[in-house]
This record gives sequence, structure tokens and C-alpha cells, in this order.
Amino acid sequence: MEMDSLPNGNSAAASPPQNPTPAAAGGMTPFPKLTQLTEALKLEHQFLRVPFEHYKKTIRTNHRAVEKEITSVISNVADVSDSENFSKDDAVNHLTSLVSRLQGLKRKLEEGSRTEHLQAQKCRARLNHLESADAENLAEWNNTRVKRILVDYMLRMSYYETAEKLAESSNIQDLVDIEVFQEAKKVIDALQNKEVAPALAWCSDNKSRLKKSKSKFEFQLRLQEFIELVRGENNLRAITYARKYLAPWGATHMKELQRVMATLAFKSNTECTTYKALFEPKQWDFLVDQFKQEFCKLYGMTLEPLLNIYLQAGLSALNTPYCYEDDCTKEDPLSQESFRKLASPLPYSKQHHSKLVCYITKELMDTENPPQVLPNGYVYSTKALEEMAKKNNGKITCPRTGLVCNYSDLVKAYIS
Amino acid sequence: MELSTVKDAFDRVTKKQKLSCSKSQEVIDQVGLEIEQTLTKIQSVDDTSFPIDLKSILAELKVKLNAIGLQSQLEGPQKELNSNLSKYLKLLEKVFNPDISKAYRNVDFDHHILNQIIASHLYRQGLFDLGDCLVNEAGEPEASALGSQFLEMYQILEAVRIKNIEPALKWISANREALKQNSTSLELKLHRLQFVEILQKKGRADALVYARTHLAPFASIHLDEIQKLMGSLLWAGKLEKSPYAELLIPAHWDNMTEELTRQFCSLLGQSYQSPLTVAIAAGVEGLPTLLKLANVMAAKKQEWQAMKQLPVPLELGKEFQFHSIFVCPVSREQASEENPPMLMPCLHVLCKQSIMKLSKSSTRSFKCPYCPADASVAQCRQLYF
Ligand SMILES: [Zn+2]
Repeated sequence: MEMDSLPNGNSAAASPPQNPTPAAAGGMTPFPKLTQLTEALKLEHQFLRVPFEHYKKTIRTNHRAVEKEITSVISNVADVSDSENFSKDDAVNHLTSLVSRLQGLKRKLEEGSRTEHLQAQKCRARLNHLESADAENLAEWNNTRVKRILVDYMLRMSYYETAEKLAESSNIQDLVDIEVFQEAKKVIDALQNKEVAPALAWCSDNKSRLKKSKSKFEFQLRLQEFIELVRGENNLRAITYARKYLAPWGATHMKELQRVMATLAFKSNTECTTYKALFEPKQWDFLVDQFKQEFCKLYGMTLEPLLNIYLQAGLSALNTPYCYEDDCTKEDPLSQESFRKLASPLPYSKQHHSKLVCYITKELMDTENPPQVLPNGYVYSTKALEEMAKKNNGKITCPRTGLVCNYSDLVKAYIS
Repeated sequence: MELSTVKDAFDRVTKKQKLSCSKSQEVIDQVGLEIEQTLTKIQSVDDTSFPIDLKSILAELKVKLNAIGLQSQLEGPQKELNSNLSKYLKLLEKVFNPDISKAYRNVDFDHHILNQIIASHLYRQGLFDLGDCLVNEAGEPEASALGSQFLEMYQILEAVRIKNIEPALKWISANREALKQNSTSLELKLHRLQFVEILQKKGRADALVYARTHLAPFASIHLDEIQKLMGSLLWAGKLEKSPYAELLIPAHWDNMTEELTRQFCSLLGQSYQSPLTVAIAAGVEGLPTLLKLANVMAAKKQEWQAMKQLPVPLELGKEFQFHSIFVCPVSREQASEENPPMLMPCLHVLCKQSIMKLSKSSTRSFKCPYCPADASVAQCRQLYF
């Protein structure tokens, strides 16, 4: 791995400087806070994209409904004018009903446009929220981000009640996607009750986009319905069903199709593992997972919860061998068993420069607060040692070994 | 950040949406109007007329409705709207990072552990209802243990908020031994704040009584502090204009609240900050670099999943620095038990292996690579950070 090819790799650090200043732990310039904020905002794609996809979807649906209804009204007029034997009353009644249909449509259009407006407001609220982040309110803004990330996790895990309560109590309803997930909830609940109808309806609502992403979710639903027919020993119906709904997928998914068709020969109590698996109830859990994936893709969400993504990155960045030692400070999340378990498959972080933390004060030892060495080789920060000396008439006691020495016995260490 | 560009693009979308919507409305009105006009015409026709008239009237309506050109009227604005919708999505992709899961390793986080972490987080933020709600909804009853522990802390803090320090003092006396080890002056801070409150609200006599009972025991170790407080007695009633005005600033209460929280967490064996907040914040800082790295390594998925140490540093703020890490300036390797940091006589520090190399396995003296001072292995000593 060539690290210096990275924009953030510090290539200048590769050769030791010739005239080091007597400074400790120098060399690392952390991002200025504002650059860092810009970088953090760039991670918020999903935050803007999801409500926008929702908005777009509503626009499309509403428009299509209007178009369909007007077209139908016009073709209705055409039908009437083409028909023979039409009494005046018939014509009046018919046209009156068309007028009221149009009025109904107008109301529907207004209602739809209100929904669109609300969804547009949500999109705008998020843009404003991103814009509002600055140095002064950063702590609070970051706090809200944690809450947003938690709501996202809860929604994906179907903990809707907690998600709603958290959003409501923090007044961040516009900043989380509860409404979007209500659509998913219907489908997931049904799948958990072994019903595919809402899932199929969702597929047909989103037909063109699912097709574009080459999704085979509908096929998987159809396969499951077929399996249920076989399980119920409705073999004839199963075959009819397969002709109608499975055959069209034959061109692209022949192998799976044949495998499932073979269940007709085995029945649901088969011991043959390949086929037994198809009858297992956990196939339904698999469908739920599949649906969640398709759903996230459609709305432009990451497939994993944001929490998992941020935690994985954070724990990788924090992960060092020292985290697992007995004297690891409580302030390090990796001092806790639960975080250690999460971090166990993750790599250790890497440092190009020394970063020294005072054992006593837990503060960084740098130019302003340089490290000093006791005669026994133990190192503490100047601040801590000065304070100790002041309180104890110039005497220093090493907190780890008990060694007592004079402040004047200490030497400053130069760390480059 | 080009947020204003993004906002402008969004404004264009909503503008086109409104345009398309009003066009639809217009078309509906047009169609409605034509039908209604036809209706009036039919109804005004004398009953004795021939049915042939009816047919021609309806045919006329049909022609008129076709002439409106429904498709072409609706299509135009809709096309413009669609193009703005996709432009906006493209802009988002350009300005933002469209897939922050690119750096994600395919490992499953155990969601029971995650749920417990979140429940603990909610409890320690004082969001007890939410914690309980999650515990119920996710079915993690064992995660509620921390709740009752933090409940006491929030009861004490709530009392402190309305300047009732009794519960805090009670907690202190119940935990006196453990607190002694943390060498905190929390108790004195509480009494000092109470003393000032009494001095302000009830006057000198009450304050003096309070001082004799509650401040006197601290006189042996905090004499300066006590002297200062007693001095303030002289200014009862006009403390804000006295040399002691500083005693009144609200930050003292905030400091004490923070100290109380710190001590409470410490006694519970918990960190002061929520570990979840810390880990997420570290993630936000580390992720941009991680994503760049993932891009560079896109072709080496296998390597990405298998690596034991990240190849580049993820620079985190100093608030995330919990451990001393010494990196040898010569070999660029992190110090370890086998390869510890060594202090040379010139007070520069290198790792043992680098010193062994420079000294040709301690067979001869060498020059420090940073200052030309001479050193021998025997003169170097190990450091413990
Ligand atoms: Zn030197």
C-alpha cells in the first residue's frame, strides 16, 4: 500500500527533519475545525436524498393520477358522442357526472399539491439544518446528529415506537425518515405474517426502477408463493401459478426456477437439504431482509444503518493495542466489553507521529506541555509534575512505581 | 461546501413543480368548462328538437376537447420538472459523498450489543422513558440495569438545578470513602454555593451559622478558600458590587454540576462522556479519510477486508487521544513491548530497534540522527509513557 499517494498522507514526514526544534509530539496538525465540518457535511448525502426521493415519488404519482383521470374523462366524452340512441337525459346525466369527476380530480390535485409542498418543506428543512452548522452551535448540532443516526438505526430495525418517541421528544421529525419507513412497515409486517400481497403491490408501484436495478425481489416473492402452494399440496394450482408468474423469469433465472419446480416432486417434508431449505420459515426472514435492501436502494439509503457505518469507522480510528490493557482509561469507549466486541473484527489504527498522553492529567503532551522523564524512565507532563512539585515542596512521587525524586532531577524528552 | 448552489437547484425544482401543478389545474378547468358549456347548450335546447342535434353537439365537444391538446399541454412542464429533478440528484451526488458505506467492512455488528449500547446511552443522557421503550421494543431486558443507576444521578442533578443541594450532600456522605480517592473538593464546592445563596437571600446571620456548621470542617485544608468566603460576609446585601462579586457568577453552579456528574460516573465505573457519542464523533472525523483510502484500494477488496492495521492514519482531534503512542522517527514504527522507546543521552528518543541498527547491534557508539551527539547503547534508557 502506497500511503503517500493519498491526499491526506503526510509525505513530508517520510524523512526525518534535520534540525528538530525541542518540541514534543510535533508534526501533526489536526484539521482546522471548519474544514473538518465541511468534510463531515459531505457525508450527509442520504440526509438530503431520501426526502427528495420521497418528494419525487409523490410528484410522479400525483401527476400520473391526474393524467389518467383527464384522459379517461375525455375518452368518455368520445364514447358518448360515438354511441347511438342517446337520450337528452342520458347525455345530461353523463356530462354532469363527468363534471363532478373533474371537480373531484381538482380536489385531489389540491390535496396532492399540499402533500408535495410539505415534502418540499422537509427537503428544505434539511438543507437549512446542514447550513446551520457552525462553530458556535457545533456541540448541539453534533448531538442532534447522534440522535438522527439512532433514529435511522431504530427505523431499520423496526423499532418504530422508540424511533418516533426519540424524534418527537427531540423535535427533529423533519430531520428523520419516519414517514418513508411507514411505507416499509406495511410490507414488512405483512411478510412477517407470511403475506406477500403488499410486497407485490410495492413491486408493481416501483416496477420501472426495480427493473432498472435488475432486482429479482418480485421473483423471490413469487417463488415463495409457489412454495406455499406446494406446502399446501395444491399441486395443480401451483403449476398454474408457476406458468403465469414464474415462467416469465425463466429467461434470466432458469436455474432457480428449476430448483423450485423440483419441489413438486419432493413435498414439504423432504429430507433433501437443498429442498428442505426452501420450505423453512426463515425463508420469510430472508424476504424481509431482501425487501429492506431493495427499499434502501430505491430511496438512496446506505444498505447498512448509519450507526454501523459511523461506529465501524470510529472504532477503527480508536482501535489500538493499548485499548485492551488493564489500565485503559474509562473515557476510551474501547475500555468497555461491548465496544471491544464490536471492534474485534476491525483493524488497528495507524499513527505516523507520536501522540503522547500524560498518565496523570490525560492531557496531550506537546510543545506547550512537554513530557519530562523521571530517573526511572517514567514520563509525565510538565503541567502535572509542576503541580505535584508545588504541592509537595519540590518532591515528585511516581504514581506508578512509588519512586520519590526532586523536581530538579527531571529531564525534558525531545520527541520528534 | 456549495450549499447555496444546492439550495438554488432545489428552488428550481419546486418552481417547476408548481408550474406543472398549475398547468394540470388549468387543463382540468379547460376540460370542465367545455363540458359545462355543452351541458348548458343541451339543456337550453327546446324539447321538440331532433336527437340529431344532440349528437352533433357531443361531437363538437369531442373535437373541442381534442383541440385542447391534453398530452402536449401537460407534457411540457412535466418534462422540465423531470429534468430539474434529475439535475438536483446529480448535483447531490457531486457535492456530497454518494456512498459512505464504501469503506464498510462486511462484518456483522451483533445487534444485541448495539441495542444494549444504545439503551445505556439513552439512560445516561437521562432519557429514561426512551431507554425503557427501546428495551421493551427490542426485547433486551438486561440492558435496563444501567437505568436505575443513572436515575439517582438525574434526581440529584434535577435538585441541584433548583438549588437544592441536599440530595447531592447525602450522596457524598454515602460515598465518602470512594470519593476521597478521587481527591475531589466537590463537597466544599456545594457548601460554598449554598453559603453564597444564604448570604444573598437570608443575610449575614444565617450565613454565619451555616459557615460555622458546614464550612469550618474544611478550614484545615482549604484555609484560603474559607477566609475568602468569610470576608464576603462584610458585603452582605451588596455582594454584586464587592470584590467578591465573582462568587455570584452562574458558572460556579455549572462547574459544580459537571464535577458532580464526573464523580458520579466515575463511581459507577462509567466514563464522563457517553462512549457512543465519542465513538460516533470519532467515526465522523475518521470516515472521510477512510473513504479516500477505500477508493484507492477499490481494486483490492480482499486486502481491505483482511488488513490488521490501517495503512494510513485517521487524524482525530486530541479529545480522542486516550493512549500514548510513540512512533519512532527513524523507523516510523509504533513502539511496542518488544521495541520500546529509548531516551538517548542527548534527550532525543528513538525505538530500541533503530538504536540497535545504528549501533550495529551495540558493538559501537553512534551519532544521534537529530543532533550530532555521540551515544552508546549503554547510555540509552527505556521510557514508560
Ligand atoms: Zn540527539
